[in-house]
Amino acid sequence: MKIVTSVLKSLVLVTALFSFSITAAFAQSAEEGEKLYNANCTSCHAINEKVVGPALKNVHTKRKEVWLLKWIKNSQALVKSGDADAIAIYKENNESVMTSFENLSDNQIKSIIAFIKKESEAPIQASIVPTGTSSANASTTEATEVSGTLKTSINWLVIVILALLIMVIVLVLDILAKVGDIQGKPVINWNGINAKLMLAFGSIGLVASAWEIWEHGKLTVLNQTPASTHGAEHDNMFMITLIITGIVFFITQGLLFWYAYKYKHSSKRRALFYPDNHKIELVWTVIPAIVLTILVVRGLKTWTDMTGEKDPNSRVIEVYGYQFAWNARYAGEDNLLGKHDFRQIGVMNALGVDTTDVKAQDDIVTNELHLGVGEPVLLKFRAKDVIHSAYLPHFRVQMNVVPGLPTQFGFTPSLTTAEMRQKLNNPKFDYVILCNKICGGAHYRMKMKVVVHAKEEFKQWLAQQPRLVNKSTPNVQATAQVETSTKTKLAN
Amino acid sequence: MSTHTANTDGANHDAHDHGHHHETFISKYVFSMDHKMIAKQFLITGIIMGVIGMMMSLIFRLQLAYPDMKFPFLESVIGQWGKDGKLDPNFYLALITIHGTIMVFYVLTAGLSGTFSNLLIPLQVGARDMASPFMNMLSYWFFFLSSIVLLSSLFVDGGPASAGWTVYPPLSALPKAIPGSGTGMTLWLVAIILFIASALLGGINYITTVLNMRTKGMKMTRLPLTIWAFLITAVLGLLSFPVLLGAGLLLIFDRSFGTSFYLNEIVAELAGGIERVGGSPVLYQHLFWFLGHPEVYIILLPALGITSEVIATNSRKPIFGYRAMIGSILAIAFLSFIVWGHHMFITGMNPFLGSVFMLGTLIIAVPSAVKTFNYMATLWKGNLQLTPAMMFAIGLVSFFISGGLTGIYLGNAALDINLHDTYFVVAHFHLVMGSAAIFGMLSGIYHWYPRMFGRMMNNTLGYLHFWLTLVSAYCVFFPMHFMGLAGVPRRYYANTAYDQFNVFVDMNQFVTIAAIIGGAAQLLFLINFFGSIFRGKRAPQNPWHSNTLEWTAPVKHMHGNWPGDIPYVYRWPYDYSKPGSELDYIPQNIPDADQTDPLDEPKAVYLDLKNTTMPLVENKEA
Repeated sequence: MKIVTSVLKSLVLVTALFSFSITAAFAQSAEEGEKLYNANCTSCHAINEKVVGPALKNVHTKRKEVWLLKWIKNSQALVKSGDADAIAIYKENNESVMTSFENLSDNQIKSIIAFIKKESEAPIQASIVPTGTSSANASTTEATEVSGTLKTSINWLVIVILALLIMVIVLVLDILAKVGDIQGKPVINWNGINAKLMLAFGSIGLVASAWEIWEHGKLTVLNQTPASTHGAEHDNMFMITLIITGIVFFITQGLLFWYAYKYKHSSKRRALFYPDNHKIELVWTVIPAIVLTILVVRGLKTWTDMTGEKDPNSRVIEVYGYQFAWNARYAGEDNLLGKHDFRQIGVMNALGVDTTDVKAQDDIVTNELHLGVGEPVLLKFRAKDVIHSAYLPHFRVQMNVVPGLPTQFGFTPSLTTAEMRQKLNNPKFDYVILCNKICGGAHYRMKMKVVVHAKEEFKQWLAQQPRLVNKSTPNVQATAQVETSTKTKLAN
Repeated sequence: MSTHTANTDGANHDAHDHGHHHETFISKYVFSMDHKMIAKQFLITGIIMGVIGMMMSLIFRLQLAYPDMKFPFLESVIGQWGKDGKLDPNFYLALITIHGTIMVFYVLTAGLSGTFSNLLIPLQVGARDMASPFMNMLSYWFFFLSSIVLLSSLFVDGGPASAGWTVYPPLSALPKAIPGSGTGMTLWLVAIILFIASALLGGINYITTVLNMRTKGMKMTRLPLTIWAFLITAVLGLLSFPVLLGAGLLLIFDRSFGTSFYLNEIVAELAGGIERVGGSPVLYQHLFWFLGHPEVYIILLPALGITSEVIATNSRKPIFGYRAMIGSILAIAFLSFIVWGHHMFITGMNPFLGSVFMLGTLIIAVPSAVKTFNYMATLWKGNLQLTPAMMFAIGLVSFFISGGLTGIYLGNAALDINLHDTYFVVAHFHLVMGSAAIFGMLSGIYHWYPRMFGRMMNNTLGYLHFWLTLVSAYCVFFPMHFMGLAGVPRRYYANTAYDQFNVFVDMNQFVTIAAIIGGAAQLLFLINFFGSIFRGKRAPQNPWHSNTLEWTAPVKHMHGNWPGDIPYVYRWPYDYSKPGSELDYIPQNIPDADQTDPLDEPKAVYLDLKNTTMPLVENKEA
């Protein structure tokens, strides 16, 4: 540990790439730091921008390492101790409390700092400027800002021009209207113009809608193969609804704007006095009723299929949500989740699992959700603080995650991550759980990676994960675990 | 006040002419008990709130379109929340929350129903004023106070409420969960409670006036559809707002007195040092949506009522299927009370319960379809006067179709699983109750502006306003469906954390630009609205040649509405283009040739309008 510390210290001091050994140590540490950073920090922080917490760029130069360690482990303690910097930061960020990370070791935090340092310096490495870090950085950000403001000012210019244009049009029309008043006959036949515009809007609008369904529909469920077995049934239901409502949409909107054009005012004509026709009314009450019956019956079937009896052999996985991250807890060999107790939730036991429970011994806690293709799973949801919602759009799955009210959803993944990547022709694609119920400032970053493996691969992955019982401390925030240390523990 | 009498039959003039001579500025313009003045107060407060709500939406639309860009002007507008030109994520949530609250309650409930129920109920049923003018005044001032409290929450420490306009606990109950759940949330709850008081005071008054104070001959089957809509709206409000009041009070208890109605398994550290066990966050959602769903119709029904009236008048045709229209209002109102669960399909409620709510929800499509078809049948073979009011009414029907059809997706629990809380929902409700109701409100303003201010609005500006608003509203909300279908969640400060949403960067910018244009178009309306109060052409007695009673009252406002006797009503309000009559309209107060008792149905088809003694078209006094 001392060696790493000294290496880090020397790195901070030297700030350049001096020797091979140091680079190697730095790289390794930063690599470990990246994993930890992604698992623990990204929901509230980014390197270059403020999220809920401040931007972390160059934080290693702004604060002393000892201070950072204290702050990350328990920021509130530091604030209460009267540390001026800590109080200032707390105030600056609207007094929102940073999560405490007492479960992270000093070394782990240092490796995160190493990663942040690496990221902070990233642009310099590209341009190979050994010194003058801050000035170089400033100039690059300045450049992007300039182009940003340029863009904004162009946009504003466009808006101003549009506004002026409208004012001119209004003025001209107003003058024409006044001329018409004087002449006793309107210069512009607005009724005719508006009627034609109605027709134009109706036809252009319908063509545009059709185009958009065609063009943007490709980006949606209409064109994405669902990644779960029930997804096909859902998509089917969706298509039926789309076709029926689409037909109604085009007919009714078309008629509406056609009538608005066709029956425009004419002083030569009189409207038809036609207050009632019970037969027609009956027809257009019964037809929608029949169509809706079809949709209801079909919808109820889909709904009961999706939410009905689950495969009793489903693998049980708990998905745990809190501000602003997710964890997954696998039930282990016995497929039974260990008891949990919210009173045990704490810095050292983020999920509040009762580790004395026998069923909890083989539980596995991870910060990624891994699934096996074709293997039914039953996700059980639990929240710590506020309502979250686990949304897995590719699987057509969503369920609220409510504190103190257990919810669940069962489904079977049908496409592995690799297969989906191939289908989408995107080698970087990953499934994701995203939070879909407003839960706080970093709501929009609260996500967890989902990986669907082939069956064998999944078994292997699961076998590599540490069991709760293997741990020396009841530390279930597996986020602290890095694969390397996992492997050594398993070997032991 | 001026004691001019527009009608010749002003014999019983003094029967209602009490206490008019002591009017001061305060009693006339501020603490007025005159329903017409109160209507104007509601409208202008509503417009101011609407402008604030819309500007908020433009700020967060900028953020959504350009998440990486800095807007230095933000810092000068919103101060610490826009430091360095970057919108704070917490304040983004505050903006969407207050935008939603303002639009749903302050603009589309009070601004729409408050304005037009107040203006039209006494005038169209033939009453001197509301049943209780004093309660009516209180209703406005509770609303005003409520607006002030809500706006003041923008300036408190931690910012205004930020838990979404539905303020679900525990997020809204735990001040530690989000900065906006501190003082801002308390003020939000106080504002809503004041608002409910206002809505209830108004609602009781509307119902009483419609049921008890109709003039002779104004049978329920002769009421204009506006009044039917306002009546049913008031009933909905009266039955559902108290439930929200209860929900809000319990939330106040949870926040301030350490109870656990909505909280379960929350550690002491998060909840002000008291461990919370035994409640249920979902209970709040049930209570909230028991109001929340009828609230959708509290917003929509008045807009539909206004549309019925405007479309019939300007098509010069009777509204098609008058009784079916009333029937569908009643059906929608009844069904709206048993479908609230469709907002909660994925809260983990029993799937069987979900099926029941789904069935009820989809049934609502039937009366809604009937209404749509009836509007279109009214247009069919009409003689359409495309006034700004008429065009906004047609726009409403278009939005009602577009937004209504997407409701069939969301009401289907099986599809809701994938669409819940995505941009599809945002698109749906902004079309069906946002745009549609705003269009109903604008239609009503253009139509009854001469009745409110005695002047005409500028038509040219009105046309431009309509076209820019219609096109921009569709450009803003139509593309959002596709984002939703691709899984983009609503209430996200930015989509930058998800590579899969990068395809929508252009679309987001397009939407924002359309929103800015739409916002700018409202300036035309504001100029027109406020300018015409002083500079508009003087309004004739009955500018749209309409049948309803409000156009028989003198243009210049007076206490008691009619200088002489209240006119009797001899017919339904939709005798437009009746065969045999010379003019293409017959106002409700005109009897048929052989009709003596107002309660008799008019028998003769032919009517000699020239020989009637009642004022019909022009009133010279105006």
